[in-house]
Formats: sequence, structure tokens, C-alpha cells
Amino acid sequence: MSTLDDTDGDQEFGRSFRIPYQYRSLAYRVALYGSGVVLTVLLAFPLYWMAQSAFKTQTALGGFDLLPLGDAFTTATFDIVMDSVVANYLLNSIIVTAGTVIFVLVVSLIAGYGLARFNYRGKVGTARFLLLGYMFSPIVLAIPLYQIWKSLGLINTYIGLILALSAISMPFAVWLMWKYIQTIPPSVEESAWIAGAPRWRGFVDVVVPQTKPAMIANAIFAFAIAWGDFTFSFIILPSADATTFPPGLFRMLGSSTWDTGWNEFMAVALLVSLPPLLFAFFLQSYLLQGFKIRAL
Amino acid sequence: MAIDNERLDRSRRFYEDGFSIGRLEITPDDFWGWLTILPVLGLYTLIALIPIAFAIVASFHSIHLLSPEWQFVGLQNYQKVFRIDEFWGSMWRGSVFMVGSTLLQLVVGVWMALVINKITRGGRILSTFVFTSYLIPTIIVAMVFQFMLDPTDGVLHWLGVDKIGLWEGYLFGNTGTTLFGTVKLAMLATVIISSWKFAAFVTLFTLAQLQSIPDRFYEAAKICGATTWEMFRDITLPRVWGAILVVVFLRAVFMFNKYDIIWQLTQGGPGVSTKTMPILAYDTTFQTSAYGLGNAIAIVMFLFLMAGGIVYLSVLNPSQEVET
Repeated sequence: MSTLDDTDGDQEFGRSFRIPYQYRSLAYRVALYGSGVVLTVLLAFPLYWMAQSAFKTQTALGGFDLLPLGDAFTTATFDIVMDSVVANYLLNSIIVTAGTVIFVLVVSLIAGYGLARFNYRGKVGTARFLLLGYMFSPIVLAIPLYQIWKSLGLINTYIGLILALSAISMPFAVWLMWKYIQTIPPSVEESAWIAGAPRWRGFVDVVVPQTKPAMIANAIFAFAIAWGDFTFSFIILPSADATTFPPGLFRMLGSSTWDTGWNEFMAVALLVSLPPLLFAFFLQSYLLQGFKIRAL
Repeated sequence: MAIDNERLDRSRRFYEDGFSIGRLEITPDDFWGWLTILPVLGLYTLIALIPIAFAIVASFHSIHLLSPEWQFVGLQNYQKVFRIDEFWGSMWRGSVFMVGSTLLQLVVGVWMALVINKITRGGRILSTFVFTSYLIPTIIVAMVFQFMLDPTDGVLHWLGVDKIGLWEGYLFGNTGTTLFGTVKLAMLATVIISSWKFAAFVTLFTLAQLQSIPDRFYEAAKICGATTWEMFRDITLPRVWGAILVVVFLRAVFMFNKYDIIWQLTQGGPGVSTKTMPILAYDTTFQTSAYGLGNAIAIVMFLFLMAGGIVYLSVLNPSQEVET
């Protein structure tokens, strides 16, 4: 059987009752691209609806216009949102997220390098042990965490929240970095030592630049955890105007003090969703590369 | 003073290779290795170990949330846990939420991964939205879906009641109630909405596994005259099976412990129809101020998960299949 043509193969096996190749291929394509369209619509519609409602006036919300046109269109929602306490929440979120991403990257890089390059006693045990904490429901940790952080003076500080959020991203980040650095041959680094460079120069100049895909994957996960975190922000930044937006918005939704319509909430939601959307758009191919490194 | 030759040798050896504290000999690998992991371990101790130990100790005490006094009661809290009216109900609802949303995420997630892997045009758009749904904060997902289900301004209401009239008085009960206000459907809505967000997790893992299958496998199968279905069954499925087993395990653990999305959508209601185990623990701790009892519930949850996890892992043994 030397031919690549499917129809020939079918005839050889005497399966003439089969749908001819070209039609099968068409059905397959329809199913594939049809699925693609259906899934895209299912995923995108809530986001699209959020975005277009953010530009609508309150009275126009109830109808079904695919785009806010004419009288329905307004940008006033954004003015209201940015004048309010929301802008403050957003700023806090940006500081906390940036801090968490940087902290996670630096610490996981060092720990991952240690796991990949040093043969120390208890190495595998420690790495496994880190994953145990995932089995515990985070709400239970709330009160003890509050008390520990209070005794350390970390309540209502950015550092306190950054440390807590970094800790949750850490097991996965360290694990990913460990596996990635293992795939980089040590000989490259060793040639730098022979040339007279100290070990840390080998790490900084030779290993670190090569870990880019793993660093991007880690940055995205740390970003997702920090940007969306509700529980820890709620506990560690309890003062109402110093908090990040997830608990801030939840408080607003629950209280009637902030007299707003859905369009203003959707304006906030749009502002808050843009960084993840941009992240996803520009970094998706890198993320896939990062995941290619042996998924568990 | 006599010279201890053995000791001298050892110190010479460790001068070059490492050092020793008393009898403990520390090689440079031990020293540098532990130094690199120390920050992570320190953080982890603060954020997970101490709180977990604290929770275990607290579960043996009777503690009112606002009073500093701890009263040792032994196993009394654990006896109480099983007598809480909502305990078995919450366990049941928690399991329904866990199984339902894990299965839905699995089906949709694998479907998305297969489509993204095979598609040649438009794949970027689909994968962008897949990742976005995962990266968007839970509170935003909860807000947007609440808006879409709003009885006056929501698009699903407009579609179902005003335009098609399909689910007026049927799915939504009376006009003016949301899906979340309907006891029968609140759990279903919560499962669907949380799957909308978390299916991407399954997609990421499956996609990674799919992309690691060498093309030559499919080329060889094509030469042998295999159909698309046969290739899927004999090449794709066995290769991703291990990853799927792991991902189901992770998702089930995460969904069982998940409370923020449920809390933000329904706060456990209407009635108790979406009150899962974490919500029960939260309510017991913060609403009824029984901190010791709340922790006992959490420990029971943890033990339940551990038992389930051990059974799952020993029956299916996914690590073996992933190693291939």
C-alpha cells in the first residue's frame, strides 16, 4: 500500500459503503470549524456583552442592540467610575500584581535552579511537600493567616499581600522552573566557569536568559492569581479604601450605598478585564511553549 | 595537645567540599541547595503550615470568634459536625458541584484543546478567548453573568422572555426571578458559570500533551489507511489519557474547595440550594461565630479529599501513564 490516497485504501479493504473521502473531509472540516465558531461565541459573548454594555446609557440597557448606537452610546460611565473609589482599587491592584509577579519570578528562578543543579539531601521530599497545601480550602486559613500577619505587622501593607499571593503561586512556579532548567544542558554553564566566571555569573548570564518560556508561563500564572485574588486581599487589606478591586467590587455589589447601574459595573469590569485580555492575546503562543515542557 | 588525625582529615575535606556542624556534614550541594529553596519554604511555612497546624489545634477547642478564650473540648466539635442539619446536605451539594463542574470542564476543555490543536485558521482568536476566560478575575465573571441573568436588563431574560418566550414561567419560574433565585436551577447555573471560567485549565494541560505527540505517528497511520476516528482512538487518546487523569484530579480538588465563585454568585442560596462544604465552613465560622466548629468542618473536608484522592490515585495511577 504505497499510496497516500484514502479512497484507494478504502477500496483495498472493500469498505465501499463508506462516505467518499472528499465528503468525509468536508464533514470533518465543518465539524472542526463549526466547533471553533461555537466555542469562540460561547467564550466571547459574555465579554462582548460586558464591553458593549459599558458604553450604554442606563435606559438603553434593557433592549437588545448589538452595538450601542445613537442615543444609547455614552462614555460617561467611565468618568463616573474613574472619579470614584474604583480608581484607587485599580491602583492598589496594579501595585500588588506587579510586586507579586516580580517576586515570584525571582524566587522561583533561584529555587528552580537549586533543585535542578544541586543534589542536596531531601530535595524531592521538599518539592512534593510543597504541593500538599493545595488540598486545603483557603477559607480555613483566613483567621490564622490574619493573626500571623498581624503579629508580623503585615496587615494593611502591600508587602503583606504580595508575600501571601506569592506563596500560593510558588509551588507550581518552582516546579515549572525546576523542570525547565533541567532541560538546559549544564555544559553551557560549565564552559563559563572554565573561562573564569564565578558560579553566579554563569547563572545570571547563561541560565537566566534561556529560561524565557518558563518565566513567561510563571508570570502569567502569578498575574492571574494576583489580579483575581479575592480571599487574601479581603483578609490582609481590610481597610475599605486600601483594598484591591475584587473585594472592593464585591462590597459595592452587596451594598446599596454606591448607587450604580449595571452599565457602570460593566465599565469597571471592562477596565479590569483589559489587562488579562491583552496578556492572553500577546502571550498566548509563549504560554503554549511554556506548557510544552512536560505537563506533569 | 594531641592531634586528632581523623578530625583533621575531615575538616580538611570539608574545607574544600563543605563543612560540618557537629556531626552533621554539609556538602556544598546541601548548603547551596537548601539556601536556594529556603525563601520558598519560609513563605510556605508562614502561609500554609502554621495556619493548618493552627486549624487542627483550633478544631479541638470551642472558640467564639470574638472572644480570645479557647476552651478545650476534645472531639466534641467533630461529633457536632455530623449532627449539623446541613452537613450531609452540604456534602451532597458539594459533591454534585464538584462532579458536575469537573465533568463539564473536562468535556468542554478537551473539546477546545482538540479544536485549537487541529485548526489552522482562527486558532489565535479562539485560544486568546480561552486564556482570557481563565485570567479574568472570578468577581468579574460573577458580575457579568449576574448582569446577563438580570430579570430586567439581562440579555438572557430578554431573549427567553420577551423574544422567544421559551423559558418564561418554565425555566425561570415567574418573570422577575433570576436563575439564581430558582431553587431548582441555581446549582445548574453555578456549575455552568464556573465551568465557563475553569474549562481553560483542562484545555491548557490537554493541549500541552497533544502538542507533544510527534507528527510522524499520524503520518504512519495515514499511510496505513487509518481514518480520523481510528487515529484519534489509537494515537491521540492513549497519549493524552494520563494528562486527563491528572487534570481531573486537580480540578476535582480545586472545585471541591472552591467557594469564591459560589459565594459571589448566590451566597449559598436560594435557601441552601448552592450551599457546598466550603460555604458551610464559612457560614459556621463567620456567621455563627463558631470558629472551632468551622475548623472541624474544614478538617473533615480535608480528610474527605485525602481519602478520595488516595482512592483515585491508587485505582487509576495516573503518574505511570504520564511518564511515557
